[in-house]
Amino acid sequence: MGVTDAKKLLFIDDDQDFLEAQEAFFGARGFVVLTAGGTDEALRLLESETPDMIFIDLMMEHFDSGFTLAHRLRREARFQGTPLVMLSGVAAETGKDFSRDKEGLRSWSQLDDFVDKPASAQRLLKIVERRLAAPGRG
Amino acid sequence: MAASILVVDDEPGIRTGVREILALEGYDVEAADCGRAALDLIDGGNAYDVFLIDYRLPDIDGLTLLQSIQRKAPDAMTCMITAYANIETAVFATRQGVDVFLPKPFTPDDLVGTVENLLGYKKLRDEASALRAAHEASLLELASEKSQTHSLVSSLRDGVLVANRQGEIALANRAMEELLGAEADSLLGRQASVALADGVLAPALASLAPDNPAPGVFEVEVDAASGRQAGDAEPRRLFIKVNGFYDDKGARLGSILTAVDISAVRRMAMEKARFTRTLVHELRAPLGALKSIIEVMQDRSLGDSLEPYAKSLARANERIDGLGELISDLLSLSSIEHKGTDQTPAAPLDVAPAIRETVDLWKDRAAAVPVALEVDLQEGLPPCAIADDDLRTILTNLVGNAVKYNRAGGKVAVSARRTPEGIALAVRDTGIGIAAENVARLGEEFFREKKPETKRIEGNGLGLAIVKRLVGHAGGRLEISSRAGEGSEFRVILPC
Repeated sequence: MGVTDAKKLLFIDDDQDFLEAQEAFFGARGFVVLTAGGTDEALRLLESETPDMIFIDLMMEHFDSGFTLAHRLRREARFQGTPLVMLSGVAAETGKDFSRDKEGLRSWSQLDDFVDKPASAQRLLKIVERRLAAPGRG
Repeated sequence: MAASILVVDDEPGIRTGVREILALEGYDVEAADCGRAALDLIDGGNAYDVFLIDYRLPDIDGLTLLQSIQRKAPDAMTCMITAYANIETAVFATRQGVDVFLPKPFTPDDLVGTVENLLGYKKLRDEASALRAAHEASLLELASEKSQTHSLVSSLRDGVLVANRQGEIALANRAMEELLGAEADSLLGRQASVALADGVLAPALASLAPDNPAPGVFEVEVDAASGRQAGDAEPRRLFIKVNGFYDDKGARLGSILTAVDISAVRRMAMEKARFTRTLVHELRAPLGALKSIIEVMQDRSLGDSLEPYAKSLARANERIDGLGELISDLLSLSSIEHKGTDQTPAAPLDVAPAIRETVDLWKDRAAAVPVALEVDLQEGLPPCAIADDDLRTILTNLVGNAVKYNRAGGKVAVSARRTPEGIALAVRDTGIGIAAENVARLGEEFFREKKPETKRIEGNGLGLAIVKRLVGHAGGRLEISSRAGEGSEFRVILPC
């Protein structure tokens, strides 16, 4: 993967240590890694950046910050085809109401993947490879 | 026991004759020759089953004597004997309450027959009155049981609604009236499902219908407006059970609906669920960070030398310490919860050594920031009723926060003063301060102010929750004043 076609990944998470580790791990593989510590910071960053894939932590400012953000991004034409991955232990963190309606939430927020935390970087890498190899969303 | 008979006649022949005839039949017979003598016998404590009274007596007339006897011995049978038998006398005497009329002259058989009849009648009457007494007693009992049950049911805090076999409302207690927002009087006799067709209780009420024998369980939320407590803005959560009730033979008599307010229980359960959810997040976050730090090293993402990993390894260490603190804090919270009901006051404690020693523990951390640590204790502080460990936990949390949330070159001042209430302990810092709108939320479990300055400060938001509870347990209170960007002061007022 050359520098010119380096893929941009955005990680949105309120854990600075997690973000720094992703920078190191994916940076070592030639990805451009963007990070944001919360919803507001992510929205500011996305004004000037268009990542190829976005990882969103579910529980940041609120229990469902990640869902709200995903829903909002998906409505923007620019992110219609961007793979969105939610990082969370959905059932445990949001309680029965969310876990009962996981499919409904998936369609509401149009998420591509759910990954349980603590997430393995190798697992995230596999998702990145699969999603970015696949033809873009219609 | 033989029946006893008193004959009252002024004619000696009658007295003797009656005594002999009746004695032969096995009766106990006594005689009196005038009304006065008869009353004296009764007043003297003698009891008789039958009185044979001559209509004409020398002192008192027979009817007057009859009335006296009826008063003194209401259970006894009376027989009027008279030679002047005529219809009028008989009717009159009977009206006066004489049981039987025996005209003179009479044969021994007449006499024995009359007495036997009277005793037979008396036996029946006694049995009847015993039955009546028993019946009345049980009616009285029932009436008092009914009123007891009624007041019991009506004072229950749970709503109770009873429908009869036809599904008509037979009873609604006060709590139920409030829940339904309707007077019981306006409901009684009406079909529950029709009278109260609207509202959230409708499905539960519909199950009171006679053709629906299945018991039902419902959980509904009702408007706070129908709540018992004024100003209770939260909707109330009700747990409703509908059951049939049956007689001894298993025939359905109706249905009973009970509504229990489970709002408080539910609130507690929700708080507990929220606590667990946050705790899971607080435990997962450092694990996630540690896992990714390790993975980066295994991957050698930053090369083969250890040098580039030094910073993240130091962070890993801090995250592990944070987890350790979280576990200690959880244990503290749990132990405070356990002693929550223990009202035994702690032994009086000299607070000065505990304050000095706890502040001392933070010396190195303070020097690293660096912040200056100052302690100013008034002389002769009175002993306080607080456990030594509790005071140290309170102080280490407050001093720790003052150091961690401070700025380089800042100051932490710890002081203790005597006040009219007891002791005022103050921890003042020159740190980042707390936004006014968040001051009230300090002490809420897991609450941390999220702003760029706090991002890299280790903390789990349990410290002040612990402080608040321990201070409360010691009968004191926590006061917080803060200005964002300037610093905060935490004052613990302890009674002495």
